[in-house]
Amino acid sequence: MKELEDEHADGVMQARLGRRARDVIEATIVLEAWLGRPAHSAMSAARGLVAGDGDPKPDRGRVEAPEGDEQQGVLVEGVALVLSILSVAAWATPLSRVLGDGVLAAAIGVALPISVALQWALRSRYLSRRTGLALLARDGLALCALTAFACAVPLALMPGWGPLAAILVAIWVGGTVVTRRGWGLLYALTLVATSVALAHHAQPYLVLGLLTAFTLSVALAAVLTRRAATEERAGTMSRALVAGLLGGAIGLLLVSDPSLGWGVHGVHPAIALVPSVIGSFWGGYYLWNLYEAVPRGLSGVPLHRAGRAAMTDPAMMLFLGAILRLVGATVVLSGVLLFIGRWTHGTDDVSVLFAFGCVALVSLLVGLLESLGRRRAGLIACSAALAVELAWPQVVGTHLAGGALAAGATVGIALTIPPLLVLLARSGRVLATTLWIQ
Amino acid sequence: MITEGTYPYAIGGVSSWCEAVIGGLDQIDWEILPIVAGGKRRQQHFQLPQNACLLRPIELWSQDSAPRGIPGRRGHGTPSIPAKLLRGLLPWHGDLDDLTAALVHCRQRPDDVRREFRARASWQAYLSALQEILELDDEDSAPAPAYDAIEAARLYQLLYWIARTAAVPTPRCSLLHVTAAGWATIPALVHKALHGTPMLLTEHGVYVREAYLASVRDASASRGERHTSTRIALGLTRAAYAAADAIAPVTEANEQWERGLGADPEKIRVIPNGIHPFGEPQAPPNAGRVIAMGRIDPLKDVQTMLLVADEVGRRMPEARFEYWGPPTPGEELYAGACERMHRRLGLDERFRFMGRTADPHGVIRSGDLVLMTSISEAMPMALLEAMAQARPAVATSVGGVPGVLRGCGIVMAPGDVHGLASAVTSLLRNPGLAAQLGRRGYERLHRRYTLERCAEAYGALIYELTGRGLA
Repeated sequence: MKELEDEHADGVMQARLGRRARDVIEATIVLEAWLGRPAHSAMSAARGLVAGDGDPKPDRGRVEAPEGDEQQGVLVEGVALVLSILSVAAWATPLSRVLGDGVLAAAIGVALPISVALQWALRSRYLSRRTGLALLARDGLALCALTAFACAVPLALMPGWGPLAAILVAIWVGGTVVTRRGWGLLYALTLVATSVALAHHAQPYLVLGLLTAFTLSVALAAVLTRRAATEERAGTMSRALVAGLLGGAIGLLLVSDPSLGWGVHGVHPAIALVPSVIGSFWGGYYLWNLYEAVPRGLSGVPLHRAGRAAMTDPAMMLFLGAILRLVGATVVLSGVLLFIGRWTHGTDDVSVLFAFGCVALVSLLVGLLESLGRRRAGLIACSAALAVELAWPQVVGTHLAGGALAAGATVGIALTIPPLLVLLARSGRVLATTLWIQ
Repeated sequence: MITEGTYPYAIGGVSSWCEAVIGGLDQIDWEILPIVAGGKRRQQHFQLPQNACLLRPIELWSQDSAPRGIPGRRGHGTPSIPAKLLRGLLPWHGDLDDLTAALVHCRQRPDDVRREFRARASWQAYLSALQEILELDDEDSAPAPAYDAIEAARLYQLLYWIARTAAVPTPRCSLLHVTAAGWATIPALVHKALHGTPMLLTEHGVYVREAYLASVRDASASRGERHTSTRIALGLTRAAYAAADAIAPVTEANEQWERGLGADPEKIRVIPNGIHPFGEPQAPPNAGRVIAMGRIDPLKDVQTMLLVADEVGRRMPEARFEYWGPPTPGEELYAGACERMHRRLGLDERFRFMGRTADPHGVIRSGDLVLMTSISEAMPMALLEAMAQARPAVATSVGGVPGVLRGCGIVMAPGDVHGLASAVTSLLRNPGLAAQLGRRGYERLHRRYTLERCAEAYGALIYELTGRGLA
């Protein structure tokens, strides 16, 4: 009788689990839940139903599918980015003509770091999340309005360059939100239209004022049309503040080299940014896969290999791939720019293109450190880069265009590469201690 | 009182019980410390009474900063927390002293938690410990499955959240009332180790049993993930049983589990759930209406219920089934499978999914009997509600169900479609018998399962543990 009962129990086990029980608790539960045996009787019968052998080979741990639509429309976004840079570059000549070189240079010098800081902070807290715009609509609008007010009003009150700086901040930051919504092309075409208007001697403040109103309205519409119930929460304020600080430092790095003269040399050096921005965009887009590619690459890797360092690990391959894309695109496009420069009266020196390439790279590396939670290393690298850039003109002089920027950015690269190499060479570690523990 | 995924942020049996106990023991000042899944906005579903206040919830899997300690108080780089937690929780018989020491360390040095878990040395020490533990043999368990790097990293992350939960400070109190032997145990374990405060554990379902059932149901989980989820639940449960001064299961069936898992029988006091009795019940409508209440969840085995309805329908075409309750969040696929089965069986109006109700007593009153086909239950409120309305119940013999329904319902084996259908048919065809069973249930409820009795029993136990009288 007992044998029959055991055989029946074994059959139920196979039917419910597709295998024998892994331990006595599992066996007890099956007997109790599907045979209705009382717990004490099930427990005493369970031991005979436990499998005697293990599974020598590892299973493949589950890897969650990537979330959402973050990477959709990337080509359009890239085209919009280039159009935006070219358009803003094209404003330099008409604006300098009407407002004076000094006003435009000072406005860019202030607006660029503030804009990059706000963009990084916005991305950290809202826009990098799957439901970023919905989050912004739900609990970020008041905060953003307050921040925008706190930035724009003091700027606008500054004599001379202040109103222009405030306008540029509003256009650039608003553009980030519009682009995140997938309306980057609309934003870029508006900038192109503005360039045309300015080239035809339209009143600059009127045109830029209209553009600002339009951009902010579209940004608001972009947020409100994505208003939806979301249970997700925004990123922490402290992290957004640090991201903003890092973004601000990168922006400062860009404008602190006196040899570049933003707004002084017409469309240059803004147009020289194009190769490095495209390279940075491509590299950053590739690196976006980190959170997905590392777990995928580690699925099925046996435990004894989880702690080893290898240059062929998925995290390292992705990192090197991103750098190669950034550097490759920047070098090729810089070559193209130098080549066509003969027909466009270009004043781009190789050193300027090199400097912007270095800034793009340090920006990518600092962004990666920030996203991996190594914010202190990012802050140290940015501070050192800025210090070297500021000291460079005193020590070496300003005869080499972009020299200070290149020197500062190179120091930043030198300080960010080692911790990233050490970290990313061990994919198991980077996943367990960094990507999954922020 | 430490809750886990329930009161006051979720609706359900445990939350209702919390509300009843807190409200019933209004001489006691309660501080509620909920443990919740983070990264999501919470909605409070229960208004706390005057004698209770809500502490800041402990959020798991959130992006909020880890708890901070006193500035300057940092340990000196011992990469031991992850490995110690692992040794305490993963083996079949974990080292509970090591576990408690590691959890206490997290509370005393909260700044160390994130730093240690992010350190390379901690990861390496953890990997070595994991390899050792997976090679351990135990007669009650098959050899552990081999883990891959993802499974190892996921377990590491789980330990990090256990450490963070331990690091959250808890207020001074006279008693720690833990409402589940899982995550809710962690802060209490540390508090007791530091201050010697007595700990009372109430188990509605058996935590480890539910973790195993969830693991069996999760077809997409890998072997390593199943091993992790069940072993961590076992480790937490054993730690809870060892630390608790009293364990109060809601049914004798849970008591058997607790004894089987090594709880000291001296500590166990069964305190059944209770509900507020109503006045005289109304007569049943005799309309052949069968009521089922509960979430749409594999544990409720709704598919068996559909088969029962089908079989009853062939014998009594006039019989009507109503299933009240929403799908469990995350079980939408199962709900979809139930609806497909409903269509395939052609049940149409004979079986209707009614959704959520705010008036469970009214719903039960409108029926002739209550049906329950669960494969796992502790002490279901739906049965008590049926008894309060003098309606008989047909249910599966799981958990505390046979004990509750003794003499006032019909109990069949889980999945026994024919038996359950026969029981339903015979009660629908025999209103006299149904009324008699219903009346017995009503009287039994008044004798054993009132809220007052439940609160009184807790009051007495709390008095015994704290040595203080209730004002």
